[in-house]
Amino acid sequence: MKTKGKLLRAFGVTSVAAATAMMMATTSGASSSGSIAKGAPVTIGISLSLSGDFSADGLAYQQGYKLWAADVNAAGGLLGHKVKLDIVSDASSPTQVVTNYQKLISVDHVNLTFGPFSTLLTLPAAQTVNRYGYAMIEGAGGGPSVFQAGLKNVFDVTLPVAYDLQPFATWLTSLPASSRPKTISYVTSNDPFTQPVVQQAQKLIGSKLKTVYNKVFPAEATDYTSIADAVAAAKAQVVVLGSVDVPTVSAFMQAFEQAHYTPEAFIATAGPDQGAAFIKAVGAGNADGMMVPNSWYGGSKNPASMKMVAEYVKQYGGTAAGVNADIAEAYSVGQVMAQAVTATKGFDNSKIIKYLHSGATLSSVQGSVKFNSLGENTAQTAYTFQWQGAKFVEVNPVGDPGASKVLFPKPAWGK
Amino acid sequence: MLRKRNLLWLVALAIALFVPTFITNPAYRQIAVITLIFTACATSWNMFSGYSGYVALGSAAFYGTGAYTMALVAVHMHIPAGGDMFWLVPVGGLAAMLVAVPVGLIALRVRRHTFVVITIAIFFVFQLAAINFNFTGGTGGLTLPYIPWLIQNYHIPFYYVALAMLVFAIGLSAAVRRSRFGLQLLAIRDDEDRALGLGVKVFPVKLTGFAMSAFTIGMGGALYAMMQGQIYPQFVFDPIFDISIALMAFFGGFGTLLGPILGGLVLESSQQYLTVTYSNGSLYLILFGVLFLLVVLFMPQGIVVYIRDAWTKRQDRLASSSENPVTQGGHS
Amino acid sequence: MNSSALIHAVIDGVLTGSVYALMATGLTLIFGVMDIINVAQGIFVILGAYLSYALSVHWGIDPFVGLVITIPTLFLVGIVVERAFIGRLKGPEKTAMSILVTYAISLVIEGALNMIFSVNYVQISASYVNKTFDIFGVYFAYIYVYGFIMAAILLSALYVMLYRTRFGASIRAALADQTAAALVGIDVKRVSTICFGIGIAVTAAGGMVFGATNAFNASTSYDLISRLLVIIVLGGMGSLGGALLAGILMVTLEDIVGVVWSPVWSIIAFYIVLVIVLSIRPQGLFGKQSARVA
Repeated sequence: MKTKGKLLRAFGVTSVAAATAMMMATTSGASSSGSIAKGAPVTIGISLSLSGDFSADGLAYQQGYKLWAADVNAAGGLLGHKVKLDIVSDASSPTQVVTNYQKLISVDHVNLTFGPFSTLLTLPAAQTVNRYGYAMIEGAGGGPSVFQAGLKNVFDVTLPVAYDLQPFATWLTSLPASSRPKTISYVTSNDPFTQPVVQQAQKLIGSKLKTVYNKVFPAEATDYTSIADAVAAAKAQVVVLGSVDVPTVSAFMQAFEQAHYTPEAFIATAGPDQGAAFIKAVGAGNADGMMVPNSWYGGSKNPASMKMVAEYVKQYGGTAAGVNADIAEAYSVGQVMAQAVTATKGFDNSKIIKYLHSGATLSSVQGSVKFNSLGENTAQTAYTFQWQGAKFVEVNPVGDPGASKVLFPKPAWGK
Repeated sequence: MLRKRNLLWLVALAIALFVPTFITNPAYRQIAVITLIFTACATSWNMFSGYSGYVALGSAAFYGTGAYTMALVAVHMHIPAGGDMFWLVPVGGLAAMLVAVPVGLIALRVRRHTFVVITIAIFFVFQLAAINFNFTGGTGGLTLPYIPWLIQNYHIPFYYVALAMLVFAIGLSAAVRRSRFGLQLLAIRDDEDRALGLGVKVFPVKLTGFAMSAFTIGMGGALYAMMQGQIYPQFVFDPIFDISIALMAFFGGFGTLLGPILGGLVLESSQQYLTVTYSNGSLYLILFGVLFLLVVLFMPQGIVVYIRDAWTKRQDRLASSSENPVTQGGHS
Repeated sequence: MNSSALIHAVIDGVLTGSVYALMATGLTLIFGVMDIINVAQGIFVILGAYLSYALSVHWGIDPFVGLVITIPTLFLVGIVVERAFIGRLKGPEKTAMSILVTYAISLVIEGALNMIFSVNYVQISASYVNKTFDIFGVYFAYIYVYGFIMAAILLSALYVMLYRTRFGASIRAALADQTAAALVGIDVKRVSTICFGIGIAVTAAGGMVFGATNAFNASTSYDLISRLLVIIVLGGMGSLGGALLAGILMVTLEDIVGVVWSPVWSIIAFYIVLVIVLSIRPQGLFGKQSARVA
């Protein structure tokens, strides 16, 4: 008995040792030195949602980052070093995101990091990366929770989402009383991105329109029919939908169509800005009139943006209107990093962080970029866009030189 | 009474104490901490489910309760970020234990088969409550006070606390095993009606065991929350957690002391390692599933028992060939 | 509170609930006859959904017509799985082991589906998914009504088989008491295998309707299996009538709570009802009362 017990104990000890040995692969801590050997590439570590809930956006981000890297390398790279992207997938999981960035920095020894997609994933990513002293420049983590965490290393190149629906609210409430709608429904997923946006819109619109429906639905719901039917039954003239992706919007649109309900104005916080992916999911006839807030669109007259859009269309096909807003966000992240690297003449993360907080104004395909102490981009304008026919046009802020007239009321479904 | 068996435990402990010195990479240290946490949870789970035969598949409810308790107390009581938060780990355990009592009152009244499913259902109530109540932060979860330790040393305190938790779980499990209480649990596993007939107070015994096992699992959740700095409802109330710890116990040997330890160390460390190296991949799902199927089909009692039996058979073969008397095998 | 929304909730509860009931019936049948808790039932539903999707997208086969292919296919898959893995389980821990084995199987299938179809959400589309019927003033897409009719037909067929055929009688015998059934000469092993096959075959049908009304990918199976498990627990594990009633009850209750209160509380309300019912009746609505005292 004793020898057998000993065997088992030995087995147990060996397994501890084996597990240990397996992990002894690399033995080094973090480094943020900032200097790279001549001729060596500069690696940028990124965790993207290539699968899972955010996969459509994750893949678009990947395209955007890669496009930027290709452009930068064609122009000679960053300070003479070629850019190499080290992209790993987080399957839209906040715990995997943390593991990914740890691996990228401490195992792969990347020099710099770019952000993942979504507020949900950006916050843990930024915290992790912060421990290593790295900067986190990102384009899709704009929810208030990201900025309230008090981290000094996070920089969102896109407009903070809280302002997203401001132009829409202004337009809606300033319509002349005869044509202004009377009733409005708010329905949102309880996601850290959508909920604050919709709540903010509600605050701005206030009692100028009567709220007939105001509910929150679980983010993980798969069957939106009953919720959408309840919204349809409320028969509000305006619907503000807090959605994170195309499937949610399309499910609501489908349910509204089945219920023979067409709101006069319908705005969704995300989904219609995904270009061709949106049209494919809902059908061009149905997309007509759908509105969405964003700070960029494919038809932007910004010269850098037009160049980027042309390159994208050349590589992937489609039209300018079909270009996903995520592409521009990712591209902007790259541009901002490039400008910071050039200004600090190196890859030292602490210097980059200091530079970005210095109040310098940078440029990107989405417009100007200037960070406040929280990492928010205060130099951008919020726009509202609308699908009119096959075109995706800017409609708000009213009076803006690039703005078209709002297609109002929304045409009936399936036209 | 330093028998050979105890000596080996001490050797294992000594090695474990020095692990952070040879693993200095933060990503891998994190794997080590999570492995220890899961192993402690698996051991604690086995202490009730393995000994009593009531397979509980909703223990993530306790893990999550511990995690949320840690987060909520740390934030609302303004506990300074850092070492002070470690005191909340046992608080998380206590919260989980308290919660286990009403859960057990409902769940333990049914047959074993239904028990499994009820624990799953109750677990989902917890998960949904966490997602939908405002004070738990909804889908966005909760952020804990940011602990500003340097990354080079960040995981070291967590490692030792997790190790202490594992030692505690093993010690408790072993103590229960040798006690009268443990015998009662085993009796319930073998034949509950008979145990009842023999005078075992079945319901209080089950409830006590259930609540005790929840304690360490709750501590595990609390420690995890503290280390990660952020918790999300779907990840601390994760059905995969339930299956993982059950899997670890079965893999190593359901109902044995060493089983969950073995299962936890091997399975969790390899799962974490694969997760770090390959990110999340469907291939890993397939591999895991296949590996598990193989173990279940060929070593249905778990690896520990399989080895023990194989060893015993070998001894018997040796004995019969050399005609030497052989000492009878015992329990681990 | 809008009365048309309420009517909609009740009708939707019956229409959609019957499809869930169909899938839950398979699960409870497997448990009743074999003492196996098949947690892979969810992923089999998704497999059925993907099969219907593939047939529809690649070969243009209408989803309902495609059932002629998918139902027998999944029946065969069930038989193979049972023969290869499930049938080998025995011993006192059989049920607990079955959870782990079927979970392992579901992992493998999930991984395979992810690799073949990617994790992006898809949905089965057909002309009748969007066109609607007008029922009592509320609109319902054809698919819900067709799905209900299909579920009703299949469930009726199942009942007819169980109560009017000899094979059905042997299933019922095994459901009541496996040992006694074996003693009277019923080949319990064969009955088990075929039951497992039937249990999986119904997921093909349920999967098709599910896939037409929900966007799905392989990980949707987790939500599905948790719903199916609680349906059979509420109904009483091993009770077919219980699965039917509980399935309809679950969806109806959820919808009503969603209308009256908030969608966020819909599913919690159901779980709370479950917990209350189980506190009073631990064996579920129609489950077998166990002989022992708690």
